[in-house]
Amino acid sequence: MRADCRMEKITEIINRTKAYYCVECGKCTSACPLSRFGDYSPDRVVERTLIGLPVRPDLRIWSCLTCGRCKEVCTYGVDYPEFIRRIRSVAKGEKEQGICAHGELFSVMRLLTRQSETPQKRLYWVSEDLMVRDKGDMLYFTGCLPYFDIVFRDLGVHTVEIARSTVKILNKLDVVPVVMNDEVCCGHDLYWNGEIETFKRLAAINIQNIARRGAKKVIFSCPEGYRTFKLDYPEFFDLDFELVHISEFLAEQLDEGKIDFRTIDEPVTYHDPCRLGRHLGVYDAPRRVISTIAPNFVEMASNRENSLCCGTAGWTNCDSFSEEIRGERLKECSDTGAQMMITSCPKCLIHFKCHMSNRKGDYDLEIVPFEVFVARAMGLVK
Amino acid sequence: MSEKSVLVIGGGVAGMQAAFDLAEAGIKVCLVEKTLSIGGRMAQLDKTFPTNDCAICILAPKMMDCYRHENIEVLTFSEVISVEGEVGSFKVKILRRPRFVDAELCNGCGDCARVCPMGILNRFDMDLRVRGGAYIPFLQAVPLIYALDREKCMRCGLCKVVCGKDAIRFDQKPELVERSVGAIIVAIGFDPLDPSGITEYGYGKYDNVLTALEYERLICAAGPTGGHVMRTDGKEVRSIAWIQCVGARDTRDNRPYCCSVCCMHATKEAILTKEHYPEVGTSILYTDLRCFGKGFQEYVNRAKDDYGVVYIRGKPSEIREKENRNLEIFYSPASDKVEKLEVDMVVLCTALIPSEGVEMLAQILGIELDGYKFFKLKDPYNPTETTRAGIFVAGYCQAPRDIPECIAHGSAAASRAMEVVLGGSDDRRD
Amino acid sequence: MTEEIRIGVFICHCGINIGGVVDVPAVVEYASSLEKVVHAERNLYTCSSEGLESIKSAIKEHNLNRVVVASCTPRTHEPLFRATCKEAGLNPYLFEFVNIRDQCSWVHMHEPESATEKAKDLVRMGVAKAARLEPLEELTSDVIPTAVVIGAGISGMTAALSLARNGFSVHLIEKEREIGGMLRKLYKLYPTDEPAEEFLERRIKAVKDHERITLHLSSTIKAVEGYVGKFKVILDENGVEQTIDAGVIIVATGAKEFEPVGLYEYDGENVITQLQLEEKLKKGDLNWAAIKNVVMIQCAGARGEVLGYCSKICCMNAIKNAKLIKEAHPDINVFIAHNELQAYGEEYELYYRDAKKAGVRFLRFPLEQRPKVRKSDGKLIVDVFHERMQLPIPFEADLVVLSAPLVQNPDALQLSKLLKVPLGQDKFFFEAHVKLRPVDFATDGIFLCGTAHGPKDIGESIAQGYAAASRATIPLAKGYVRSEPIISSVNEELCAGCGICESVCPYGAIEVVEVEEDKKRARVTGVKCKGCGTCGSSCIKRAIKMYHFSDDQLIAQERAALPTEVIS
Repeated sequence: MRADCRMEKITEIINRTKAYYCVECGKCTSACPLSRFGDYSPDRVVERTLIGLPVRPDLRIWSCLTCGRCKEVCTYGVDYPEFIRRIRSVAKGEKEQGICAHGELFSVMRLLTRQSETPQKRLYWVSEDLMVRDKGDMLYFTGCLPYFDIVFRDLGVHTVEIARSTVKILNKLDVVPVVMNDEVCCGHDLYWNGEIETFKRLAAINIQNIARRGAKKVIFSCPEGYRTFKLDYPEFFDLDFELVHISEFLAEQLDEGKIDFRTIDEPVTYHDPCRLGRHLGVYDAPRRVISTIAPNFVEMASNRENSLCCGTAGWTNCDSFSEEIRGERLKECSDTGAQMMITSCPKCLIHFKCHMSNRKGDYDLEIVPFEVFVARAMGLVK
Repeated sequence: MSEKSVLVIGGGVAGMQAAFDLAEAGIKVCLVEKTLSIGGRMAQLDKTFPTNDCAICILAPKMMDCYRHENIEVLTFSEVISVEGEVGSFKVKILRRPRFVDAELCNGCGDCARVCPMGILNRFDMDLRVRGGAYIPFLQAVPLIYALDREKCMRCGLCKVVCGKDAIRFDQKPELVERSVGAIIVAIGFDPLDPSGITEYGYGKYDNVLTALEYERLICAAGPTGGHVMRTDGKEVRSIAWIQCVGARDTRDNRPYCCSVCCMHATKEAILTKEHYPEVGTSILYTDLRCFGKGFQEYVNRAKDDYGVVYIRGKPSEIREKENRNLEIFYSPASDKVEKLEVDMVVLCTALIPSEGVEMLAQILGIELDGYKFFKLKDPYNPTETTRAGIFVAGYCQAPRDIPECIAHGSAAASRAMEVVLGGSDDRRD
Repeated sequence: MTEEIRIGVFICHCGINIGGVVDVPAVVEYASSLEKVVHAERNLYTCSSEGLESIKSAIKEHNLNRVVVASCTPRTHEPLFRATCKEAGLNPYLFEFVNIRDQCSWVHMHEPESATEKAKDLVRMGVAKAARLEPLEELTSDVIPTAVVIGAGISGMTAALSLARNGFSVHLIEKEREIGGMLRKLYKLYPTDEPAEEFLERRIKAVKDHERITLHLSSTIKAVEGYVGKFKVILDENGVEQTIDAGVIIVATGAKEFEPVGLYEYDGENVITQLQLEEKLKKGDLNWAAIKNVVMIQCAGARGEVLGYCSKICCMNAIKNAKLIKEAHPDINVFIAHNELQAYGEEYELYYRDAKKAGVRFLRFPLEQRPKVRKSDGKLIVDVFHERMQLPIPFEADLVVLSAPLVQNPDALQLSKLLKVPLGQDKFFFEAHVKLRPVDFATDGIFLCGTAHGPKDIGESIAQGYAAASRATIPLAKGYVRSEPIISSVNEELCAGCGICESVCPYGAIEVVEVEEDKKRARVTGVKCKGCGTCGSSCIKRAIKMYHFSDDQLIAQERAALPTEVIS
């Protein structure tokens, strides 16, 4: 037992995240998708920290999916995802880090913080049939969709179709969104992996660029970007614009009777992304839209606040347990009898597609991005 | 000089004890009870911990004593609707709701109930049993006077035909009465939380997830199944798990407090279950076992050693229903373990919360509630004083406490009221 | 008994409760055929106003001098029927209750024929006894409008003040030189963190100022005589004998802290109890500069270690002290090693959370593996087995505080004998009924409050103080007590003065006294007697008669139970 000089930082983290309220009831551990399949225990990390036992170096602090299931079920008020995020940033400060799958993506994100002579060719997906502009009230924050499309081409994620569908939908609703070529990564993955300084730099660039475009409202298709802007940017910056997710926007339009959908009979189900669901509390908006299009919408066994994570967050510590979690989720989907699982998160899409590609032939279902699903129902894409 | 009478609001154990002490000391009491019978929550219990006394057996004599006492006027099916004045002389208006039965004539024979064609869920039995439109809440109700369900009665008139006393009065109107009292005691008890909002436990979705009070009615010999624990699908019950702190010690819904009695309540239900069915597996999943009262630790020891009740430390995160309608409970008994417990039935020990209507009553009385809707004390060490002089509080509605504590509390409130009425105290609150 | 016995029997249908199983008309017919029964009738609900009227008019019309009601349970309805008889001019103890519901129709609901036969048997037994009942008069006794409160701790002071405010004289007896009880030893109180001294001062002043409270300091009880309404309490007040006449007595003698000798390396210096900690905190006796780690150990000597019970308050008390230390010295590590944490109710759970926020850390150990304290290189180490992580963890400690339970005062046994009130298995005073009568003793006129009853916190002690005052006010305000005449009585010609009855009586109602020189006989104090029959059944000389349950009544009942062929 020792008095660590880093104890001060740890104590601060405990206080900020109210980890001191933990009574060791174990509810978090039994809710944690990782704990169900592997050797991870949120409460053990908290307990060790509270007593002053070292939690680092321990690869397991990077395993947390930050899905928020623990926080959702905790009745004592402990914010574990935030707790682990801050522990990670202390660890990063000590040059520890998790095992990052696709770590090259981080390099790209870091690079984007620097002024470069080679500008991004980010808007390559904007085809002629899409109406966009450079300045205006409503801005569409595309996020890393263009990059993912290329990096994960072998998985057939086609993430730029999400962007295209979103713009088509907006156009149909008489909105011509602003898109920025000098947009940079929102910084979500770096933020959750403890790289705060880089994150702040990325944030500053985005906010400045958005301001220059005169945008009053920013619309997102990516829940991670949305969450980061909504909950994490305000910690460091003031935002002069509103934020909304495409599902929320569509639900509003639906309520006002402005959209006509082509309905389908097949049963479909919806996977709540952690960042949109538990982190931001948006459960109803996507469901209202989806069930209007597909009246035979069915819920999976774990839905809404109890939703299962897609198994990886921030590209860190993706391992066999992540695969088991994904398998569990897809099994829940097939158990419903639906052959289409809709999700509004490109990361979830990538992870599920990766899992399915490792197990060709095991699954008879389609993962469809929400925006593409809606665009199809509006007759805008095939 | 104070009015030599006291108003007691609430006919549960705390209210009855307060009324009784006052009456015995020669003070007139008006006991107002919202439901059709006095007795409160204790009347719903099968047995009481840690003595395992039959609840209604020890309660009914108290109910009778209270009702028959020459100094106590019991007004059931009534509510206080206004309070004016001050300590020593309050003017209270009480609304007496119509039973649609002449209380002077009814002899409690029950013929009306037997012919009534309506089937209505009986709240006293936690909606597990059906009663008629003509009814009494339970067999030992005091007073034993029937009533017609105001909302669901169809006025078919069958009851009127069979009533040997011609006591049915469809046109009975609510009555407003006034009383002058020197002091008021509030003892309105609690309501059990409806855990439907705690979606992870599946109450309302899964057939075999019940609340503790529902289970109490099941295992009660006078309950809807005559004391037989059964599932709606008729399957034999071979294992039951109790889940503690459902909705209590829960910051998510602003109920971070502990309800004090549930750990012992679950222990009692588990022991009773074992007495009825020695082979049934009984597990209690808890966080902190609150066994602080007289005889409680010994009771828990008996449960473990003599009856084989299993205590598991670990709050479940989820309950899932299997195809055979059994329940699967996910919990973590140690840091590195996540386990699944399959049982035939789950009993949720839900939070016990301030009653519906408490805010309205607080307003009528002019007293404050705390942040959790319990009646606020002027001074934390004077446990029966509300924020208004002359108005006292007793029992669970002030803070979670068990039956002997509620009874002592009722007597304590009575003694404060006595100080006002007998001693002429103006109960000045500085 | 020379008058003709005229018994009326009323058989109740109790709706369908009885009538649905037992053939009531057949029982009525049978009852009519019994000796001495001049009237038998059936009622739908004998307890209804209609039924009661029927009893009253039958008494008048048929000149009944004994009444038997065969219906539900005397527990709820005996007082009602007795009162009815009284209203009709019949002595209420000439009434006999036969239970043909709980003891017949309810338990034999699937055997109506047998149940009917049993009902007839029960009625026959009731009639046999009723024939031998004698009229009895309730005993009334005056109550001296004075109370004695033994113990001037917080609950005793509360009780005394409440009684005094109600207009009665109170003698408040305290064995120490100062009043205040255990509160005098405390530093601060939870959940308000206010200083105990200030809290106490206000209340002590109120007690000392009240004109109706007489304080007796440095006083112990030497003897107690009498019974409810007329107690004689004999004190030794600082060497002088005093006698107080009182109507009621309240026991508020408090409790003391268990001394965990031989446990956890307890030495009173570095390993201390919570009370010792409070004292040190009050005096400012601790060298904070030398203290970096404080470890508190819960359940020290309780819950299966030496004592079996949970002492209710130790968890909150430790939390309070831990929080105070942490708030005053944020750099000190404060740990509480506990098992089941008793932070019950509304306020305490919230206070517990506040302590956590202040930085107090909690370690949960299993009861089978309690912490061990050892010395290593002159330092104290507390080995705590962390239950959830299943890990033994050593904690350095500069100060170890043991949360020991409250135990009964050593002189309580003596007091319990003087007052003839019982102690429970846990040695605390034992109340009349654990659920329904927490502040009453079974013996009338004596009440109980505070930690003498069992461990409890200040709020509850105060509540019980008020509660005991309320219960005590009843006889005081009434001015008299009335008791049932179902009591024992001694035939002094048969009595040998052996004293067995006195030793078995739970209420102290029968005593062997010297009636003449060299002649000792047992005498019953009617007002104290509850008619339990223990003395009567223990008397080897058969010298004790139980009114209303006399030998001849019971034998007649027993004989009536057996079929006539068996008894010749």
